[in-house]
Amino acid sequence: MPRHRQFASSALLQKIARHSLALVATVLLGGFLAAVLVRLAPGFEVDERQLDPRLNSESVHALVQARAAPHNIFSFYVRSLERAIHGDLGTSISLGQPVSSLLRERAPLTLRLVALGLILSWTSAMALGLSAAWLRTTAYDALTTVLSGTFLCIPAAVLALLSVLWNLPGALAIALIVFPQVHRYARNLLAKAYNLPHIITARAKGLSESRILFWHVVPVVAPQLLAVAGVSVNIAIGAAIPVEALCGLAGVGQLAWQAALARDLPLLMNVTILVTLVTLLANSSADVIGHVLRSQQA
Amino acid sequence: MVTKSRNAILVSALRVSALCIVLAGFALAQGGGELRFCLHSEPKTFDPLKVEDDASVSIRYLTGGVLLRINRQTQALEPELAQSWKVSKDAKQITFKLRSGISFSDGTPFSAEDVVYTVRQLMDPALHSPTGDSFRSGPGIVETRIISPTDISITFPAPVAGLDRQFDQVAILSAHSPKKEMAVLGPFMVADYKPGATVLLVRNPNYWKTDAQGKKLPYLDSIRLDIQPNRDVEMLRFKRGEVDLINSLDSEYFDKLWQIAPQVVHDAGPSLDSEQMWFNQVEKSPLPAYKKTWFRSASFRRAISEAINRDDLSRVVFRGHAQPAVGPISPANKFWFNAKLSAAAAYSRDAALKALQGEGFQLQNGTLKDKDGNEVVFSIITNSGNKYRERMATMIQEDLGKIGIKVNVVTLDFPSLIERMTQTFEYEAVLLGLTNTGLDPNEQMNVWLSSSENHQWNPSEKTPETAWEAEIDKLMREQASSADARARKKAFDRVQEIVVDEVPFIYLVNRNALSAVAADVQGASPVILSPQTFWNADRLEVKGERLALK
Repeated sequence: MPRHRQFASSALLQKIARHSLALVATVLLGGFLAAVLVRLAPGFEVDERQLDPRLNSESVHALVQARAAPHNIFSFYVRSLERAIHGDLGTSISLGQPVSSLLRERAPLTLRLVALGLILSWTSAMALGLSAAWLRTTAYDALTTVLSGTFLCIPAAVLALLSVLWNLPGALAIALIVFPQVHRYARNLLAKAYNLPHIITARAKGLSESRILFWHVVPVVAPQLLAVAGVSVNIAIGAAIPVEALCGLAGVGQLAWQAALARDLPLLMNVTILVTLVTLLANSSADVIGHVLRSQQA
Repeated sequence: MVTKSRNAILVSALRVSALCIVLAGFALAQGGGELRFCLHSEPKTFDPLKVEDDASVSIRYLTGGVLLRINRQTQALEPELAQSWKVSKDAKQITFKLRSGISFSDGTPFSAEDVVYTVRQLMDPALHSPTGDSFRSGPGIVETRIISPTDISITFPAPVAGLDRQFDQVAILSAHSPKKEMAVLGPFMVADYKPGATVLLVRNPNYWKTDAQGKKLPYLDSIRLDIQPNRDVEMLRFKRGEVDLINSLDSEYFDKLWQIAPQVVHDAGPSLDSEQMWFNQVEKSPLPAYKKTWFRSASFRRAISEAINRDDLSRVVFRGHAQPAVGPISPANKFWFNAKLSAAAAYSRDAALKALQGEGFQLQNGTLKDKDGNEVVFSIITNSGNKYRERMATMIQEDLGKIGIKVNVVTLDFPSLIERMTQTFEYEAVLLGLTNTGLDPNEQMNVWLSSSENHQWNPSEKTPETAWEAEIDKLMREQASSADARARKKAFDRVQEIVVDEVPFIYLVNRNALSAVAADVQGASPVILSPQTFWNADRLEVKGERLALK
């Protein structure tokens, strides 16, 4: 193996190791912070059922005792991690069901929503960005920029409510939340790429647009777009919480919302760990792939 | 609560059997159609004895078979699985004569053994369910005796007030069915459960009831319960024709629906629920001593009550779909309401101010001050997100401002609110509602007993701190240990009088029982008692095309 390749693969391995280490540390820290925040939140040690006038003193005491369990949050967290290694994520306080089965039941819907939302947003953002770069018409460029700016100004919850009102799929709401973020970067990157001297020359020589795009533009913009892809996954997952909660979709986002309202420590801690894991994996993957692409270009 | 392993098995078993049950359901279809409505939360359990949340209560009502049932329309107790019953004079024993020839949904025959099994499970001290606790009036063991295959007696260690009516909440379990709590005696049975999405109920082919023409009940083939916490989405879906019923309809939505389709909305009049406000009277609370003195003064509380315009609250906040409250029992509770109580505390700003001045308060430059010169300022906390309570609090703020009292309104999320009310006592006044599910005052026992945690204005008193609280304790215990309905009524009438006089709770309004029923649902007759619209679910039918409202 040539020396420069050996060096590249060793750098790649180092990068992957660094990302893995950061991922584990962040997930552990994120889970712990979530647990601490829930534990310190006002109303953690109470249960709405305490107000049921039909319950006698013994039953109210039993409810209070059940809520008052984890006094030392650090030892609770360590014990939870130990159990998690053996596949036991604990039981949800508010829903009374194993957290693992709740996540298993709800994750597919969220994954579907997020995946569809990302596909829709990326397709539309790239289509508008490319058409603006090809046409180079100020009016068209302004129109697409205004469109994406409009969606950027609308809060996620409003888009979710509009999708409920007009009976639109939740994935579309997620797509509209992600779209302006992707479009802004994609448009700028593509416009910049199409202004590069060798691409202007290629166009002047009459090369087909598809050849210019795939041979000359994509290699230039791919690493940066990959970084945006990682960020867009984060935005889509973040958007899934209000969209699912407001549209009444039974995914992990809705579960997180319910868990937060009910101060459901085991559920909220595991949902935080899961969301942190997915977003970090997306970001790290984008970074590693970008690194490979840059190495190949070099 | 569904245990870990049981839950997993339950969901899998439900899914595997769903297709078979649905196909069997089609074969046995009565042509009554499918009824659709929303549950506002995830059902926490399908075990009828552990039920405590609204969603599980609805499922228990639709699937559970009970010995006796309170007719939601007449409020009278009617025989169901028991064809007759008798309560002993000391209110400790009840004897049932059961119907014969009845089977659970899976074909397991129903017998006295099932009643014994159910009562034993229900009275397990570790259960901690509201239904079980309602029967626990004293220490000791509950004895059950099978007299014959259709006769059974149950003896409680202490008198249980309203003993027979409490069996309305007890769905009978099978002692022998391998399906455990999924074998039911009610009109419907659970066929499928998609967590977070839907619960599908199909007609129980072994349901024992028939109509006057001898046709087997229920008419409906199935009921689809969509889990939908968002009431706005529920309303939209109703307008689109995707759901058929809405219980406890919002008054704003009631008016909107009334404008486009007046035939679908129903106002059954005042419900059992009340909206109320109370002051913190806890001695150990971290409030300044002068504020504790105000709040513990009955004259101060009465004056505040008098200064609140309840008619305006009903008219403005609830758009006329509420009635000014009189006391702890709503006039909708026909038997237990004390008709001698005059109308709600008459609104009189001048009388309120005069009463306060009689207690040494002075109005100086538009600000009310107590005899030590302390400005009368307090905050009302209520739960955030409840627009009616937020509006009520704002109107109370305006009313009290007219007599120089400054009120701050603070909204908190529910867990924070409960923490302040029950643990830290860091509050001055609370505005909340009381949801009454039953008619019997015994269901409020833990609110009135001074030693109880739910004695909200001053919980867990070691001994009653006032003479009137001691009298309420005595009266509540007296009525709870009597089987004589008239004696119980007399005692509870007096409790209502004391409460109206001493004002530990300032009762504000009784909200009306509003509901919506789609035009394609036949046989519906919404009532004030829960479950308002589907209390007669076994006699409902869905016919015709579902149409969107425009």
